[in-house]
Amino acid sequence: MGASGKFALALAVALPFAAAAATHTVTIEGMKFVPETVTVKKGDRIVWKNKDLVPHTATAAGSFDSKSIASGASWSHVVRKPGRYDVVCLFHPGMKATLVVQ
Amino acid sequence: MFFTKSALLAVLAAAILPVYAQQGPTDPQIAAIVVTANQVDIDAGKLAASHTKSKEVRQFAQQMVTDHSGVNKQATALVTKLKVKPEPNDTSRSLQKGGDENLAKLKKLKGAGFDKAYVDHEVEYHQAVLDAIDKTLVPSARNAELKDLLVKVRPAFVAHLDHAKHLQSALGK
Repeated sequence: MGASGKFALALAVALPFAAAAATHTVTIEGMKFVPETVTVKKGDRIVWKNKDLVPHTATAAGSFDSKSIASGASWSHVVRKPGRYDVVCLFHPGMKATLVVQ
Repeated sequence: MFFTKSALLAVLAAAILPVYAQQGPTDPQIAAIVVTANQVDIDAGKLAASHTKSKEVRQFAQQMVTDHSGVNKQATALVTKLKVKPEPNDTSRSLQKGGDENLAKLKKLKGAGFDKAYVDHEVEYHQAVLDAIDKTLVPSARNAELKDLLVKVRPAFVAHLDHAKHLQSALGK
């Protein structure tokens, strides 16, 4: 086994013990965040995918702001600080969601 | 409210009780109605964004321009793809006339009077368009993609109506 083979083996052994960061998708459709509440682990990536005909934002005051996400576009963000975040669309006051980071 | 309301009711009546009593509007007519309905609200939004002194009214007006432009862009892309040529009809002409009258009236107003007239009209307009979507446009649309577009756009009109009503009650205080 060459050096690279040993490295691959070491990685294969080590990986199950490392917290693998996951990716979660929140769809924005029908002027709603779907699902409305999403629970993730710190370091996970959250992708907001806008399937509506109009632009939206995914914004948590003081924490993150996607700015305008065009129709058909996505925006992703990794939240590292555990907590409960109120996520809104700055353009449409009725659109609210919750992001829980554990 | 005086003529704006009656103009909208006339539009609604024209949409619900079409001349073509049995079949409702055709897809090319629906395409013209959708494009005109969005365009008149874009025009009103542009006027309001530049005339109002209220931050909340300006934000709402700019949102109407952004959202209805987005809807029209995709509606135009779809009808181009489907090779449907928008066909002006009584309903689209009434919408255009109502929009023109609204602009003419708004241009004579200022300050709180302007804000109230603009927002009152936005509430009536979005309600009238929602009624037309539910009672006429969706049931009449033949092409599945056109029908889907109408269904897909509905929540935006609901959100705009709620936003306009919220502004209306805030301005009334």
